[in-house]
Amino acid sequence: MSLAEKISNLQTFLAYSVALEEEAAERHDDLADMMDVHNNPEVAETFRKLAHYSRLHAQEIRDHSKGHKLPVIAPWDFGWENMEGPETADISDMNYLMSNRQALKIAMGNEQRAHDFYFQISKESPDPAVCALAEEFSEEEKEHLGLLEKWLEQYPESEEELAFDPDPAHMPE
Amino acid sequence: MNQATQAIPIKPRDYKSELKPVWCPGCGDFAVLNAITKALAFMELPREDVALISGIGCSSRISAYTSLYGFHGVHGRALALAAGLKAARQDLTVLVAGGDGDGLSIGGNHFIHACRRNMDMTYIIMDNEVYGMTKGQASPTTAPDWADSKLTPHGTGIRPFQPAGLALTAGASFIARGFTGDPNGLAKILVAAIQHKGFSFIQALSPCPTFRPEQMQWKHHVREFDSETTSNPIEAAQRIQADDGMSMGIIFQNEYPVFRPGTGVDAGMGSIESEFTV
Repeated sequence: MSLAEKISNLQTFLAYSVALEEEAAERHDDLADMMDVHNNPEVAETFRKLAHYSRLHAQEIRDHSKGHKLPVIAPWDFGWENMEGPETADISDMNYLMSNRQALKIAMGNEQRAHDFYFQISKESPDPAVCALAEEFSEEEKEHLGLLEKWLEQYPESEEELAFDPDPAHMPE
Repeated sequence: MNQATQAIPIKPRDYKSELKPVWCPGCGDFAVLNAITKALAFMELPREDVALISGIGCSSRISAYTSLYGFHGVHGRALALAAGLKAARQDLTVLVAGGDGDGLSIGGNHFIHACRRNMDMTYIIMDNEVYGMTKGQASPTTAPDWADSKLTPHGTGIRPFQPAGLALTAGASFIARGFTGDPNGLAKILVAAIQHKGFSFIQALSPCPTFRPEQMQWKHHVREFDSETTSNPIEAAQRIQADDGMSMGIIFQNEYPVFRPGTGVDAGMGSIESEFTV
C-alpha cells in the first residue's frame, strides 16, 4: 500500500504532518547538541534555529488539527519511504567540522523531501480535503526552501569543504 | 518518584536527560538513544519503573543520557549488574546496553551465561566493530582483514564473532538485529524485546564515523530479513549462517523458562556453613 493510500483521511494526514515536523524538530535539536559539544557554536545555532522553525510549523499543523481526533500511530507504522520522516536530517550526514553552508544544504534537502512528500499526497490521496491541505503544505515547504536558499547566500562556496582540524580524533595509536 | 505527582511521560524526549551526548556527530549511538526513548514512550512506561545499565565504552555512556534510573558500570559487567538488579527488583524493566567490545570480549562470559540464564531483561549491543573510546582497535566483531589500527597492521587474522549466532548457541530466547539508520524500526524491535518474557538480545548495527567511516555505507546495504521470525533454533541457525549480517528483524523468539531467583532466604547460616565443614 502506498503512503497516499494509507493517508486516506484528513485526521491521518494531520497525524502524519505533526509527526513529520516534530521528528524534524527533535533531530535538529540533537544536531545542535552535537555541534555544541564539539565546539562548533555557529552551526549549533543554525540547527537550533531550524528546530525552532520546525516547532513553529508543527504548532501550525496542530492548530489546523483543532476539532479533529488524530489517530495514534506508532513511529514504525508511518512507513516513511526513507525509514525516517522526510524532513528529518540523516544523522550519518553530520561531521563535527561542518560549516553553516553544509548544514543549510542538508536542511534544504530535508525541505525538498518534505515538499515532495506533501506534493505526492496532494496528487494521490483519495480524499479531496487531504489533497487540498497537502497542496497548501507543499507550497509552504517550497517557501521554506526559498528562504533557506537566501540564507545560504550569506556563506561562501568555499565552505563546501570541511574545515581543517590539526588534531583530528582519528589518529589510531 | 511518586506516581501521584509524576505524570507518565508520553513524549520520547521526556526520557532524555539534560546531558548532551559526547558521541561524535554521525555516530549511530544517537539513534539507539532515540529508539529507546521512542519505544518507552510508545509503551508509556513510567521512568521510575525502568533502569538502564551499561558498561564502559562510547556506547555505554547511554545510561547518562536518559532520565531513567541508570548505572554506568564496570567494563564488561553490565549484564552482571543488571542480573543483580533484576534479581532484587523483579518489578523493574531492565535494559542493558553497551558496545561489541564491552559485551563480547571483556564481558563475553557474562553474555553467554545471561543468554542461557534467561532472566527477563533486554540487552542491546551497539555494534560498530571497533573499540572507539580507546581510539580504534579491533574488537571481537571486526573483520579479520581490517588493518586500520597500528595494533593490527595486517588485520587480526581472526574470524569475528557472529553475535546472533553466539546468542542462539548460548540459549537466548529472543534474538534480533536492528540498524541505527532506522531508529523507528529499531524502536519496534525494542518494544517486542521488552515485552518478551526472558532474555532478549538485540544487535544494533551502529556505524562509527570516526574510526570506521566506511560503515556509513551500511545504510545502502541493510535490508529486512526475507522470512518471518522463527521459534525453531535450527531454522534460526541456518538463517544466521546464510546471512551476511546485514539483514534486520527479529530472527528468533521462543518461550523458555525464565530464571527468577527467590528473594527470601531458604537456608539458615548454620546449614550453609555446615556444607563447608571439612
